[in-house]
Order: sequence, then structure tokens, then C-alpha cells
Amino acid sequence: MKHSNLASLAKEQYRLKKRLVAPLMGMPGLKMINSTIKLGQQNFRIHYEAIKALADLYQPDIVFPLMDLSVEANAIGRYTLFPLDDTATLPHVTFNLSQVKILPKIDITADTRALGYAKVTALLRRNIVSKILKGVYVTGPYTLAALILGAEETARSVILDSQGLHALLDYTTKVIENYTELLIESGAQIVCILEPSASMLSSSHFEEFSGNYVKQISALCAVHKVDTVYHVCGNTTHLIKSMAESGVSGLSLDSPDSGVNLPQAITEVPEDVVIIGNINPVGKILTGSPFEVKEEVNELLESVDQFPNFILSTGCDLPKNTPIENIEAFMKAGREYRISAF
Amino acid sequence: MARNEELYNAILKGDRNTVQSIFQTAIDENRDVNELLDFSMIPAMREMGERFSRNEIYVPEMLIAARAMQAGLTLIEPILAQNNHKSLGTIAVGTVKGDLHDIGKNLVVIMLKGAGYDVIDMGTNCGIEKYDNAVSAGAQIVMCSALLTTTMTYMEQVVNHFKNNDTIKVVIGGAPVTQKYADSIGAHGYGRDANEAVKIVEKLTGAIA
Repeated sequence: MKHSNLASLAKEQYRLKKRLVAPLMGMPGLKMINSTIKLGQQNFRIHYEAIKALADLYQPDIVFPLMDLSVEANAIGRYTLFPLDDTATLPHVTFNLSQVKILPKIDITADTRALGYAKVTALLRRNIVSKILKGVYVTGPYTLAALILGAEETARSVILDSQGLHALLDYTTKVIENYTELLIESGAQIVCILEPSASMLSSSHFEEFSGNYVKQISALCAVHKVDTVYHVCGNTTHLIKSMAESGVSGLSLDSPDSGVNLPQAITEVPEDVVIIGNINPVGKILTGSPFEVKEEVNELLESVDQFPNFILSTGCDLPKNTPIENIEAFMKAGREYRISAF
Repeated sequence: MARNEELYNAILKGDRNTVQSIFQTAIDENRDVNELLDFSMIPAMREMGERFSRNEIYVPEMLIAARAMQAGLTLIEPILAQNNHKSLGTIAVGTVKGDLHDIGKNLVVIMLKGAGYDVIDMGTNCGIEKYDNAVSAGAQIVMCSALLTTTMTYMEQVVNHFKNNDTIKVVIGGAPVTQKYADSIGAHGYGRDANEAVKIVEKLTGAIA
């Protein structure tokens, strides 16, 4: 069973010759309210105010919180660093697959930071106009495994100890499902699964060690009539079909600079799966002029003009210091574009 | 010189035990390990690099091959040092300040070793001081790796730091890094992946035209 409200909404806009516009942005909101990333990731009120500031100013079709891959790992007790103005990160701590059985079986929905992210979701749901969909992020099963075991060891285990890695993935998937349910209860309408570490796998390994586990999370979301989006950074050209077969309703893809050809990707997915992307978040929108941003957005929209199942977005999270006038240019270009295919 | 097919294929398959066994036997029999290195192990690792660049294999397969190669190198490194095996140059590799993601950097390290370079592995989270120390230790090229868009901007500081030193070249790479970005900050080279990074180093050191 798949829930694909996103595809219906994208098609509805397409009939009106318009596009949904939903950049992955959270960090620039912290700049707007003059706060740091550390505070935003630890204080739910500051976090909420940053996202609300962005939503009020730009009125995107979907709001996303701060992108933070440390929530679940931190909640199960992994060592986490909180730099003053950078995203939380997990230094590598020695761990091996024989230790999976001693990982804590705890309810992470009682974790203070997880609860903070749930609170942000609830506040956004309550205080932001209902036509703006509320998205949330969860860490992908393979990426959470890589945060626990180390990226290199996890990649080697794909070949050398697949059984041990599956045991770890069973564990990480349960943790993520636990957190997903908390976020859904808090009002999430779209669950975006962040799986950057899996981009380094072949398509068959990706399906075995990521896609099959994401299927479980998307099935859980479908029960609650919540959309799921699979976000994988980097060149995912070889993974599009596997991603689309995981029961999700959207694929969030990285920029052309990473090697992704968006018009080609759309032809590889069924019509009830939307492709979301893919302006380079560290390209012109970060360093160029508003005019250059407008040109880049128009070029992207023209390249996918014939496809209804598309949402204009960025290829990944916008950095905190993205110029406000460039975000404005992105939104304006997206809003003003009209479909010419029919 | 003939290629040792068993060693060549063992690297391709990432068969560490076979690699160790072949080198150990050669050492025990007092045979020339340089020949195994130059005509079998390095070509095998180059072939893996090419397959990686063509998207025929991915990071796990590369890591397994690199692990097998490292097992062989560990056995023969003391012998190579004793025989004054000629290095193609000294290269320093590290992830930039604030970035702890070292999987790409580790692949570059092993590929460079395989190509015949001495490598100073600076590890992760490298500030200017670590780069300076590596240059003091003889590095001719410093290589900066980053996975995060938030940390890649530190590369510009490294490039600027060595701007007035004509003897040092700076090469950059990592998932969010592009040739455009490398050009914009004035880096001497950019490697799209570990294989290309080695090719850039070979060009800069004059190992290939």
C-alpha cells in the first residue's frame, strides 16, 4: 500500500500550469532570527521560530525543519558533538557488529531532543496555515547504521558481513519507526528519509541494505496516510529505480553538479512518485546573483515542463548563510513559472 | 615482466588472505617483491579505479580491494624501504577542518600508495597547522577532502595559505566539490573520485604527461 498525496497535489498544480515550490531550508531561518545552529538544534522554541520566520516570509508549499542527522543516533546514546554554529556531528567511536545485541532497547520518543523535534512539528502544524504541508526528517536505516558502525566499516560489511549488517539494520529501522510514529502523532504530513550514506552502494546493495528497510518505514507512514520522501545526496543515477520501488511517494534528488539528470530521472519513476529537486544549494543560490538564480530555476523548470510529477526544490539543505535575496529569487521564479507543455 | 594473475585477481576480488599468502611466499623465497607490486598489484588497483570511475563498482568493492592491497603493502613496506624503492613523490591527504568524514580520503590514500607515492595521512579535521606540518615533512602536494557543504569552504583558506608558495600544489575533492568550485578558489587540481585524484597528482608531479 502506498500513500501518494504529494503526486495528487503536484498534478493538481500542473493542471493549473503551476508547480509546487518547496526548498529544503531550515538553516537560513536561524540567520533570520539571529540564532546559532547549536541553539536551533537544542531549543525547540528557537527551532520553531526559525522555521516559522521562513514560512511566513516565503510561503513555501512544504516546510521542513532543520536537517539534523544526529537526532536518532544521539537518542540511543552515541557520542555527539554540538559545534557552536554548525550541525551536530558524531565522531567515530569503535563499534563492531558483534555488539549489535548490546545496543540499548530504549524508547527514543522519551529522548529530550527527539521530543524537541516533535514539539517543533506540533507548533508548526498548529500555527502555520494549513495549506502549507508540514514535513519532518528522519535518518535513513543505512545512514544510522553508518553513524553507529562507521561509514567505512558499514560499506565493507555490505560484502564481508551482510548478516551482521542486517541485524544492525533491523535495529536502526526499529529506532527510526519509533521516532517516525512520534513525529506523525505530532502532526507530520510528509516524512523525508535522509539516506546520504547509501549513495555509495551499487543498486543491488542499495535495495538490499537500504530500500528494503525504507519499505518498512514507508508502509508505516502509509497506514497513517502520511507521505514519504526518499532523500539521497550525491549521484543517484543508478539508484532511481530502486528508490522508486521502496513504496515512497517522492524522491528528493541532488543537483546536476552531483551528476543527477532530473528529466531523465522522472522518466524512470511511475507517475504516482514525485521527483523533488534539484537546484544546487551551494551553487548560484549561495554565491550568485538573484538574476542567476532566476535563470537557473527557469532552466530547470523548462527541462521538466512536460512532467506533472515534479516539485521544485533544492538538491539538499540550504546553508545558513544563503543570501535572503537569492531565496526570494528562487521562490519568485518558481511561483511565476507557467507550464507551457499543453 | 609477467603479471601474476593470481595476485592480480585476488586484488580485484578483495581476497586479502591470498594477497598476504603470495607476498609472504615471495618474501620467504627471497624473490623480488617489487615485481609483484609494479606488475600485478598496482595494475590491479588501477583497474579497480577505472571500474570505479565507470560506475561498474562502488565504494564497498573499492574498500575491499584497498584492504587486500594494504595487507600486501604492510608485508613489503620494510623491504621496500631497505631496497630504497624510489617514490614518485610525497603527498599529504586530509579532510578539512570541521569535517570528520574520511571514507573518500582513505580511498585516495590507498590509491596513491598503490601508485607509488609516499603518503602523509593527516587524518580528519585538518586545520592550516596540519597542512604546514605535512609540508615541513616533505609534502609537495596537499590534498583536501570534504563531504559537507558547510566545511568545503575551508579549502579556500588552504589554497590562499599556499598561494605564494610555488613549490606546493593544492588538490581538492569530495562529494559536494566540483571543478567549477576548484577553479573559483584557485586550486591546482580537482579529483571527481579517488581514481581521478591520483591521475591529477600524477600530472602535477610529472609522473604522466
